Amino acid sequence: MSWRTIASKDYHESKDSRLVRYLLYLFVAACLIGGYVFPVTTTGDVTKDRFAGFMTATITLLLPLLGILLSYNAIVGERESGRLALLLSLPHNRQDVVFGKLVGRGGFLALGVIVGLFGAGALVIYPFGSVSATSTVSYLAYVLLTLAFGAVYFGIGLTISTATVSKQRATVAAFGVFFVFVIVWDAIRDGSAFLLDQAGLIDGTLPQELPNWLLFLHGAEPGMLYERIIEGFFEGSESGPYLSAEAPWYLGEWVALVVFLVWAVVPLLVGYRRFEVTDL
Amino acid sequence: MVAIQVENVSKRYGTLTALDRVGFTVEEGEIFGFLGPNGAGKSTMINIFLDFVRPTEGTVSIFGHNCQQEGHLARERMGVLPEGYSVYDRLTGRQHVEFAINSKDADEEPMKLLERVGIRDAADRKAGGYSKGMAQRLVLAMALVGKPDLLILDEPTTGLDPNGAREMRTIITEESERGATVFFSSHILEQVEAVCDRVGILYQGELAAIDTIEGLRESMGGGTKLQITVNDIDEGVLDSIESLDGVENAWLSNDGRKVEVTCSNDAKLDVVIALDDAGVDVSDFRTDEASLEDMFAAYTGGSR
Repeated sequence: MSWRTIASKDYHESKDSRLVRYLLYLFVAACLIGGYVFPVTTTGDVTKDRFAGFMTATITLLLPLLGILLSYNAIVGERESGRLALLLSLPHNRQDVVFGKLVGRGGFLALGVIVGLFGAGALVIYPFGSVSATSTVSYLAYVLLTLAFGAVYFGIGLTISTATVSKQRATVAAFGVFFVFVIVWDAIRDGSAFLLDQAGLIDGTLPQELPNWLLFLHGAEPGMLYERIIEGFFEGSESGPYLSAEAPWYLGEWVALVVFLVWAVVPLLVGYRRFEVTDL
Repeated sequence: MVAIQVENVSKRYGTLTALDRVGFTVEEGEIFGFLGPNGAGKSTMINIFLDFVRPTEGTVSIFGHNCQQEGHLARERMGVLPEGYSVYDRLTGRQHVEFAINSKDADEEPMKLLERVGIRDAADRKAGGYSKGMAQRLVLAMALVGKPDLLILDEPTTGLDPNGAREMRTIITEESERGATVFFSSHILEQVEAVCDRVGILYQGELAAIDTIEGLRESMGGGTKLQITVNDIDEGVLDSIESLDGVENAWLSNDGRKVEVTCSNDAKLDVVIALDDAGVDVSDFRTDEASLEDMFAAYTGGSR
């Protein structure tokens, strides 16, 4: 159970980091504000599964940042400073180190998501809403999905951390991923639509629509997937280029769920494999 | 019983060879000194023990556990003071030792260990504020956790003052008396000479010599060192002295006024005669037992 020793050490260390703590507070506060504002600004039954969609923009911005920040330095920082040498001279194997960090730091992230979303859920229900068995199950599923979304970016960060040899490179890679996926991703779609239009490959009439295969590729970014899963499963939406009845099956929410799960698992495995065989 | 078994280990980084077919064994209970100048490959070898680095060829096993395949089993019986480590800034000294105790499933009193290495008073301070020497003592305390059967110490006296280095030697001796095997690397000769049963000399990735200190002296030709004060000498004469039977090395001292020669006992007179034949004026003559440092210079080809 040597990963537990590492997990508990890392949990205490993350707790001591001011940047991580403040970001976590920010995330929880954003959730709570959302939970407070949503019933006030919404008409009709506030408990009808629309809170998830209401929060998407906030969560797809903050959670990737928090997930990557918690993980990108987990291994490479210790490796560069020599703490990893101290850690691995004890009877831990590398698997324990990666898993311990996953649990210790990931636990910190999970705690933030759980506190934030359950707090927000309580604010949505109180004082005007009502609680039913189905709404509870659906909210639990929403929290799980959001945890998985956090895990995707945590996993990407950890992959960067296991695959790089200097903190500087890890920082560039981590913020590169965040910048491309979270900040400029929408602009990339518009940009490619413009280029394809200029090249005469697609119909130039507005609104420009990308060919389906490109929509699939663009929609395979974790935030887009998260949004689509919420629209498809929680809100029952059947409009837009992805979820409308005319859209091909591979743009639907089920395929989105599969790709999403691939994101949650594959980067982590790749990073771990690499770390396992490399010379420190 | 064999504590460490190194068989034909090489490590290459591209075209650079860090270790070249090194093989040796360390018996249980020995204090083994691993000697060599900086960059000789000592740390690479220790990193292979710890599975930080995988050998290009060859195998290393510790207490019968292959270091690469069963590294954590090997490390369960080891206490390690690694090279190039750093401590956790946000944890206190006591928390560090507790972490090592938990990691090794040991049952020990952290304060006793901290007392033994002499940093009891700093136990509840964050290790981020420790000096290099204190950090070194802290990591030694972590290495001592669980009464390991094998202590691996990579340049253990780095950052320690002479007093600390002496305490380190005391601890090494105590651990050896308890029955532990001690393997430590150093480029400082007097420390190795003071405590080691056997010494391996690593030079440019190759094992240049491995023997007891007495054995090394003997293989140096009886272990005699001559110091001959001369008035004037031509460097070419040194070559002719080195070509004599029983002579290992001959070189000029730093001030250029003495010829120093390591040779067998029987060859002493031959050296003086040869000098006389070459027309060198010998004004004084002294013999010493060769120090490990002289052997080291001889084996590693360094002139002193």
